Order: sequence, then C-alpha cells, then structure tokens
Amino acid sequence: MNYTEQIRQIASRLLESGQVDMVMAWKKGAFDYQSIPYVARSREDIDKIIFDDYCVHNLSASLLRYRDSNEKIGIVVKGCDSRGIVRLLEDNQIRRQRLYIIGIGCSGVLDPLQAMMANSGFSRTKDISGLAAKCANCIQPNPVIYDELVGESQEARGPGNRFERVSEIENMTVEERRTFFEEVFSRCIRCYACRQACVACDCRTCIFEETRPQWVGRETSISDNMMYHMVRSMHMVGRCIDCGECERVCPAGIPLMLINRKLIKEVDRLYGPYEAGMVYVEGQKPPFSVYDEKDPDDFI
Amino acid sequence: MSNCSCENPLIPQIVEVIKIVEETPDVKTFYVQKDNGVPFDVMPGQLAMVSLLPVGEGMFSVSWQEDDHLQFAIKRVGVMTDELHNIDVGQRLGVRGPYGNGFPVEKCQGRDMLFIGGGIGLAPLRSFIKYCFKHREDYGKITIIYGSRSYDDLCFKEELFGKWPQEKDTQVYVTIDNAEEKWDGHVGYVPAYLEELNPDPQGMIAVTCGPPIMIKFVLQALQKMGFSDEQVITTLEMRMKCGIGKCGRCNIGSEYICLDGPVFDLAQLRKLPPEW
Amino acid sequence: MKYFKKGQIEKIVDRLAEKADVFVPMLRGQQSGFFSWKSYDENYDDLIFDLLNVYSPPKNIVLPQTEKMYNFDQQGQEVIVKPEEIPVEPKVIFGIRSCDVKAIEYLDEVFLTRTFVDEFYKARRDQVTIVANACYNPGTNCFCKSMGVDPLEPEMADVILREVENGYVWEPKTEKGDILTKQIEDLLEEKEVELYELNRFVRKVNYDGVAEKLKDLFDHPMWERYSDPCQTCGICTYMCPTCYCFDVQVKNWGEEGYRFRCWDSCMYREYTQMAGGHNPREATTERFRNRFLHKLQFFNERYGTPLCTGCGRCIVACPAGVDIIRMIELIKEAEPSV
Repeated sequence: MNYTEQIRQIASRLLESGQVDMVMAWKKGAFDYQSIPYVARSREDIDKIIFDDYCVHNLSASLLRYRDSNEKIGIVVKGCDSRGIVRLLEDNQIRRQRLYIIGIGCSGVLDPLQAMMANSGFSRTKDISGLAAKCANCIQPNPVIYDELVGESQEARGPGNRFERVSEIENMTVEERRTFFEEVFSRCIRCYACRQACVACDCRTCIFEETRPQWVGRETSISDNMMYHMVRSMHMVGRCIDCGECERVCPAGIPLMLINRKLIKEVDRLYGPYEAGMVYVEGQKPPFSVYDEKDPDDFI
Repeated sequence: MSNCSCENPLIPQIVEVIKIVEETPDVKTFYVQKDNGVPFDVMPGQLAMVSLLPVGEGMFSVSWQEDDHLQFAIKRVGVMTDELHNIDVGQRLGVRGPYGNGFPVEKCQGRDMLFIGGGIGLAPLRSFIKYCFKHREDYGKITIIYGSRSYDDLCFKEELFGKWPQEKDTQVYVTIDNAEEKWDGHVGYVPAYLEELNPDPQGMIAVTCGPPIMIKFVLQALQKMGFSDEQVITTLEMRMKCGIGKCGRCNIGSEYICLDGPVFDLAQLRKLPPEW
Repeated sequence: MKYFKKGQIEKIVDRLAEKADVFVPMLRGQQSGFFSWKSYDENYDDLIFDLLNVYSPPKNIVLPQTEKMYNFDQQGQEVIVKPEEIPVEPKVIFGIRSCDVKAIEYLDEVFLTRTFVDEFYKARRDQVTIVANACYNPGTNCFCKSMGVDPLEPEMADVILREVENGYVWEPKTEKGDILTKQIEDLLEEKEVELYELNRFVRKVNYDGVAEKLKDLFDHPMWERYSDPCQTCGICTYMCPTCYCFDVQVKNWGEEGYRFRCWDSCMYREYTQMAGGHNPREATTERFRNRFLHKLQFFNERYGTPLCTGCGRCIVACPAGVDIIRMIELIKEAEPSV
C-alpha cells in the first residue's frame, strides 16, 4: 500500500483550512522498513508524512494524550485502528467533533519491529516476508468510522481461523495448560508496554498504579506476573478491539492475543453476538460496562 | 557526608517510639529512641528513611536531635504516613540514615539568620533554628517568618508562640492564609508577608522551606529584596526510595536530593534544571 | 596465543561450570539473553555465540529484576528484621560483548562509589568473572565506538575471547582470568592465528560536545516535538544494559513480609509521583527529556561518561521508533534557546 500522496493532500487541506490543528500520521525513520508515528502541525511537517506498508501502529492510542485539551485532530486509521476510536468514544475519552478521521482500507501491514529485529543482529531470523502477525486473521480491514476514505474496500482475511490457537489450548488438560501459562508468564519483565500500547487501557490512574491498596506487587514472581495479566485481561473483556498491538510490542514474546481472543470468543458466546468497537452508536456501551437488573445471573 | 552506622545502607535499624505529639490535625511529631540513645548522629537538615515495616518507607527530615532521641515531624499525606498516624507509643519502627548534606551550620556562623517556612516546611527548618538557639552566641539576629493554611495547621505552636520569641534578639512573625475568629495576628501568604516585613539583606542568610510553589515565590521575593544567590538557602523534597543516590528518581539535573541535597543555595539551584 | 576450536566451546563451558554458575548467550524460545548453563536444554535452547548479541541485556546477573533485601516480622509492637543472605556462588558471564561489559562498569560506578556502597550489588558483583567476546562485526544499530567503547578491547574483562577462523583465542587479562585459564588448561592449545579486523560501522554518531550543549537546551521546543510518538512504555529502559533505576517495595501478608527492590523506569508517571500529589515530571515530554538528559548529560556531569554504550537495543525495541542516534543528531543541530 502506498497512499502517501493522498494523505499529504488531505492533511494539507485540513491544516490550511483550519479544520484541524494537527494531523496524526507517520513519517519515515532511519531505515526503509521503519515507519514512525508522527504529528504534523505545519506546512513543512506535511512534507514528511508517509503512508506505506510499515504503518502498523494503532494511532488511536495516541489520542489519549489529548483527551483533556481542545485541539481538533486529524488522524489516519486502518480498519483495526478505527475500532480503537470507537473504543475511545464509547468510553467517553474524546469527543467525536474534535476528530477528522481519515480511514484506510487496509490490505495488511508489515511489522517494522520484526524488520528491525531481523536486521539488527540480535536474531537468526532474516526472513521478514509476510504480514505482521496481527494481520493474520483480520476480520475488519475497512474502517468502521471515518470522515474520508482512502484506498479500496478490502476483504477480511480468514475470520474463521481466529480462534484456532484458542481451541488448541482449550483442548489441553489443566496440567498442560498450567505448564504452558507458567512458562509464558515467567518471561514477563513487567515493563507495562502492553498496557501503554493498548487503546482500551484508558484509565487515568491505572489499577496497577494505585497504592491504596496496591493491588498487584511489582515483583516478577510467577504469582504477581499472572495476577497482572489476569487482572488486565479481565479489564479487556468486551472492550478489546483485537488490534494486536500489545502482543506486537511485547519484548518477551508473550502471546497476549491468545488470551484476548479467548475472552472475545467467550463474550461473543455468552453475551453475543458481540464484537467490540465495530460500530459507533452514541450511548452504546460494551457488555461489561453496564449493569442491568434484568441481567441473567445465577448469583450476586 | 555520612556517618551511617549500619553496614548495609539499605537495611534499617530498629527504634522505639517513646513519645508522640499532635502538632496539628494532620501533623504528628514522633520521638524515637534506640537503646536509650540515638541510632545515629544527625546534623541539622539531614534526612532519614523511616519505615513502618509492613506498610512502607518514607524519607523525612530529622526535626531535632537530643542525646537520647530523634524527632520526626510527619504530615499525613499518603499510605504509609496514614498508617503511621495510627500507631501508639512503644511501636517499633525502622530507620536508616543519616542522609543528605544538611544545613551549612558552620558557614552561617556570625550571620543574621532569616527563616521562612510554610506548612510542614517548618519541620526541617526547626532543626536549624533550634541549633542556632543551642549555640546562640554563634549566630546574629534571628528572624522567623512562618505561615500555614489556618491556625490549626500551624506546627510547633508551643515553640512558635512560647519559647522562640523569648530567645535573645529573636523575632517571630506568624501568618495564616485566611482570617479566622480565633486568630488576631497577620493574615496573608508567606511570600507577601515576607515582602511586607522587608528585612534588610545586609549580612543576612535566608533559609526557606515549604510547598514548592511557596518556595518559588519566596525565592523571587528575596531576589527582589536584594538578597544575592549565595545568601539564600533552601531544602527541597522529592519522591525517594533508596536514600543513597542510586535508585535515580530524586534527581534535579545531575544532583540527587538524597545525597547532594536536600539543602541547596540559590546559586547551585540556578545551575540545575527547574524541575522540582 | 591460547586457542581452542569452535567445537570445544561447550566443553569449556562445562569445565568452568564445575566451579561456577556459567551464564551463556542463549536463544530460549522467543527470548535471547544470558541464561545459566545449568538450565540449558538442547531440545529447546540454542547457543548463540555467533550472533551479534543477546536481546535481553546481562545486567540482571548483577542487578536482578527482583531482589529481596530483608524479611520482617512484626509481633505486636515489636519487629524483627532479617537481612537476606546473598547466596555464595561464583558466576562467570561467558561471551559478553564490550558494550555490555562497559555497561557493567557504569553500574559499578553507580552502586559501588559515592559515599555509599550497595552491599547487595557488591555481594553479587564480587563473585562475577567476565569472559568477554570481542566484537568484530558491528550490527546495523551499533554505535559503541562513538560512545567511548572499544569493541575489541573490553576494558574490564577478565578474559577476552577473540573469534578467529574455526576457533577462538583465549586472552586472560586479570588474576581472575588466570584462575579460569588454569581450570581449562588442557582444553587450550598454543597456536599463532591471524586476528580479524574490525568491520565498519553502519551508523555513526558524533557525541563530542553533546553533554555541554545540552546544558542550554533544557527549554528547547525540540523535546515537545520529538516526544510525540513516545508511549512511555518503558521498554527502552528495560532493554538497556546501563539503565539501573529501581523501586523499593514491600510484600507482606499480615504483619510478616519482606522488602524488595525491583527494576523501575523513569518513563512511568509514578516514578516521581509524591504522596502529597505533586509530580515534577507529570507530562510525557518531561520524562522523555529527563531520560535523554540523564543518559547524555547528567551522568556525564557526575561520572565523566555518557550512560549509553551504543548497543542499539533501544532503537530496535522501541515500538514508536524513537532513536537515540537520531536524538543525538538533533541535539547537535539544535539552536540553543535564548
């Protein structure tokens, strides 16, 4: 994909007319395979904007930085990213009127982190062909909310296979599962990158920053690591938009999307049909954000 | 400088709380003792890490030292201080220290002293004030300007209104932010009161401590009044964890408040980034 | 020259492991780092002496991610404190690169000097012997030379390995190194071999004058600009071999428990959050600026060197593409604010 020219034109039009104060897009880094999130605020800035195959980042997460101010923001989003915007709107984190959403019909992106790693010398893997892992089972390549559309409508990529790995784990015995997850979480170094990269993690004071009480200790013991991930996943229930950024940024290779997909599957099964952030209807809330007395529960 | 008596600077010594004085609704002074003595000797302005073992640790200035105890004036603001305010006399606490550079008590000998404090900021200043009174002949005129939000929030009232004004060649001026029925003294913020009193900077050393915003205004006022940078000293505060200049967080530029500070003069402060 | 064939390396590690816990560079699943040879599983793990470096830096050997300091037990008003004993077990870090050796040198400066000696760090550090692996092929993002590190001569190493055709030269440098040499005497042969030349660096950066220049750039608008993409995720600080900031926390169940320290990051908001509510570095820009100033200016002012050894890990790891080489270039280009 290469929509650099179109995005630059749109950004130029928006900034010059004053319709927006800034445009969130990408620019090139030191290498061909490095596209970096970038905020353009002026004429010179626009000339640096690009949109290519390495624009993997979910820019909607960056909107949280501006939730308390008033700037009008233009933002370039792919299918998954646009669901992130719906997430923020549903969570009352930003007002729709402030945004001008430039949507891209996405045919899948490549991962600059993978490319950087392969070219760094830290890894044996030199083969960096193939889409980013998060694009593998994309169900929503087209933006679900936008003011202007760029690129063509794309086909979803194998929605049926999304829960393949989930089923594999479900078919494991309890002991096998325990061994698997203990190994996985013992790698966690508690860098909190998953939380920072996630658009659904929009709490002003994160539960893990609370001190009264401190809910989860900061040790990298297996129990504290598992508590961190379990608590975080439960906060994602019904809210995760399946963008895969958490797993992509994790420096320890923890399969975070495996857990999120399991929860997506369960929410859909128990409270569905439901997929988070697919459509924005004002006032609508995700399943776990509302309590209704008529909710079927067999215990309090 | 360090005369830390414990081998491992991160491991506390155990002390006993022998007396608790309620200064204000949210400030208590804890008198602690180890084996009828002190766990370590402290100079005015130095700090120590006090811990209520199961709860947490906090860095506090030592408000005063006698031969047989140390005094910490602690305000209730967070998790650990909250729990600390619930303990009784006899409770064992952990302390480690002394940390920090302390006030330049020797350099200031022979000078007139001006102490400007706000709220709990009087706690570290008190160690220097009492030192001056203990060695009264070594110091000139002493002026104390102190203010707090309300009458109830004034710390060390007994000394403030009783002992200190009676010391030789000493003036104490107290103010509170807003007028109250039980108060017929000055009303107004400390920086403004300072400018009103307009002390003569000639030969004077000004020492100030309080909330960061108050310190900033006081420094501005002192400069306006003609105090040179070397004549102004302040003691700062930051979140601290190790207390020994290694965990990284209490830095202002390349200086660590727990090790190179907390006492800085204005000339030093100007060379550092304004990030406190 | 003392020499051994490449195929002998596992034997040598085995021999050293008789008297010490030997840490070797391994690829374990998705993670590469220095792991104990005791834990090597040939079905799962891969020795990576041939790769540029490991991704997770070896600092955890001297400064573990989580380290217990002392236990306490409060009974009524009494409390007993029991310091944690550091287990006595000699360690060998085998195959560490110059950038990481230099990083440990910087950690030594921080933890062992300036009024206080960190006894926990010292207890671990004293037991470590460093067998470094001289680096002849800089990686794409390596810039160690620009930061004052000699890839061929890791200063603090006890032994330097030099990769040559089909084998390694074993060069003991210190007494500790001689002790190891004696241990593996029979596995080494005397042989004159030709050493490689240092290959060229892909990226270069000029650090000269940066520390001085930064003194005038504190209020420069560049920090606001370039911190835009930063998500304050903290990966850079965790992957960095020189970052050492730590937190002190307590873990308790009722009145019993222990105090421990763990890695912390200046990128997190609660790093400088004070109990009363004041936070000197509340905004992302302030934390971003502080990190670069600490690495390139403050540490230099205090200890005489930058706190960066040019390993390039942060550049590879950053999800938002923040690049310290680029930052140094921008600092050199910046016009000082009046």
